[in-house]
Amino acid sequence: MEWIFYTLAFLVALAISGSAVYALWWSSKNGQLRDFERGAVSIFDAEEPVGEMTDRFPAKRPKAG
Amino acid sequence: MASASSLAASLNPATPPDTVPRAELSEIDASTKWPVIFFLVSALVWLLVGTVFALISSFKLHTPEFLGSYEWLTFGRARTAHLNAVIYGWSTNAAFAVAFWLMARLSRARLRHAGVLLIAACFWNLGVTIGIIGILAGDSTSIEWLEMPAYATPLLFVAYALVGVWAVITFRFRKAEHVYVSQWYLLAALFWFPWLYSIAQIMLIFEPARGTVQALVNWWFAHNVLGLWFTPIGLAAAYYFIPKVLGKPIHSYYLSVLGFWSLAIFYNWAGVHHLIGGPVPAWVISAGIAASLMMIIPVVVTAINHHFTMVGSFGALRYSPTLRFVVFGAVNYTLVSLTGSAMAIRAVNEITHFTHFTVGHAHQGMYAFFTMVMFGAIYYILPRVLLKEWPSAGLIRTHFWCVAIGVTIYWVDLEIGGWIQGLQMNDPSIPFLEVVRNTIPWLFVRSLAGILMTIGHLAFTVNVLWMLGAKRPAGVTAPTLFRSPPALQAASVR
Repeated sequence: MEWIFYTLAFLVALAISGSAVYALWWSSKNGQLRDFERGAVSIFDAEEPVGEMTDRFPAKRPKAG
Repeated sequence: MASASSLAASLNPATPPDTVPRAELSEIDASTKWPVIFFLVSALVWLLVGTVFALISSFKLHTPEFLGSYEWLTFGRARTAHLNAVIYGWSTNAAFAVAFWLMARLSRARLRHAGVLLIAACFWNLGVTIGIIGILAGDSTSIEWLEMPAYATPLLFVAYALVGVWAVITFRFRKAEHVYVSQWYLLAALFWFPWLYSIAQIMLIFEPARGTVQALVNWWFAHNVLGLWFTPIGLAAAYYFIPKVLGKPIHSYYLSVLGFWSLAIFYNWAGVHHLIGGPVPAWVISAGIAASLMMIIPVVVTAINHHFTMVGSFGALRYSPTLRFVVFGAVNYTLVSLTGSAMAIRAVNEITHFTHFTVGHAHQGMYAFFTMVMFGAIYYILPRVLLKEWPSAGLIRTHFWCVAIGVTIYWVDLEIGGWIQGLQMNDPSIPFLEVVRNTIPWLFVRSLAGILMTIGHLAFTVNVLWMLGAKRPAGVTAPTLFRSPPALQAASVR
């Protein structure tokens, strides 16, 4: 009975490892590993541009409105 | 809340991915509101429950008669309830909330199928509640990190399956061209945890493997929960919030990608270092030690990235609550990981194994790193989701200083005390009971640190509840109220 689970566990482990290899291959093919400069700034946009801090302590006395 | 396309359309592989429009950040934040609030409030409740059990078990170690007459509060149960409440209750709920918010933002699309996540949240929290009641009632499985009885765990698995499906849908319908490094970490974590959890459940609880294989599976699971679930979520948050708060791209994006892939390759092997000296084949242990030392690569790479991004911007720590917590977490990630690699070396392990050193190390990892990053993330996310300011800057400062000082005392104290304990245990001329007695002062200090952290948690709770109850100021439609004054922005970027 046990061997069913061992086989299952082994196959799942292979599938998980396989998915990691696939992900690496995909990211290379998709151009994700090219142009790192662009990757680094991809979290900024016109709404929240580079050079602008987006967090601070709340004001001690928040102004109404 | 939900988008125009149905769940069936999202699940259909034939649906073209461009049916989803690209969204503005404020729209995305608003779409995450209910799942994020549900998971964060549950996380907060579990944080408080976990803290109570933490204090009870900590007091019992130096004052064993404390609450000694209640069988459901004996040390074995209270300590186990603490572990499960903070790992599956607090940390995982917080991780889910942060992961959904980040995934939606990084995918540049509104969060869809919030209903799936809300059902998952119900299942998850019901499972954890039943599990912890089961542990207190004496039904613990006695397998470390998997103590919840078998009648609770399937609920957790259902919850996780729903979350996984949601993550895959969100990733498929993403609108961002580039997959940012945080997204890699999040996706990987959401993939890895169900794997670890299901294999461990089957091989240990439902159809137990024989002999030492159990110990191997147990530590493969328990260590990977840290390294392949909590660490990626914590790092994903750090990789997003440090540059985002500073308004400054990460120091080296190339290194961040290298860090991710080296973590993916090495971490999975490392867990067996818990069995050094145990009755398992020596080559398995040696492989685990080698992997633990190879972990220095992703750790150093991540450290360079996080700390060099901060260089020149340390002044910003004074102004941003998020940055304070996340940078504290990132510094501790570096320290705890290097300590962990050192602890895997046989000569070091001979001393630290079976001592309080390991307990201090675990708290540095799960608290000083992971929990602090989660606190920082919550300070950033909640105002944007609720469109309200945090009501009290004083409570944020109280929270930060209490938990930062508390957890630092905690791990430094237990690592010094644990090291001495280990040296004494290895000295056959010292009777065992004397070694035990010598740990008591260190355990007292640990309880004091715990009380300090509890004060921090209470300050945090008051602030969150206050914020949830407060009225939104009129005219606020977008979270622009967190921009700092222009002078400060100029100072933060060099």
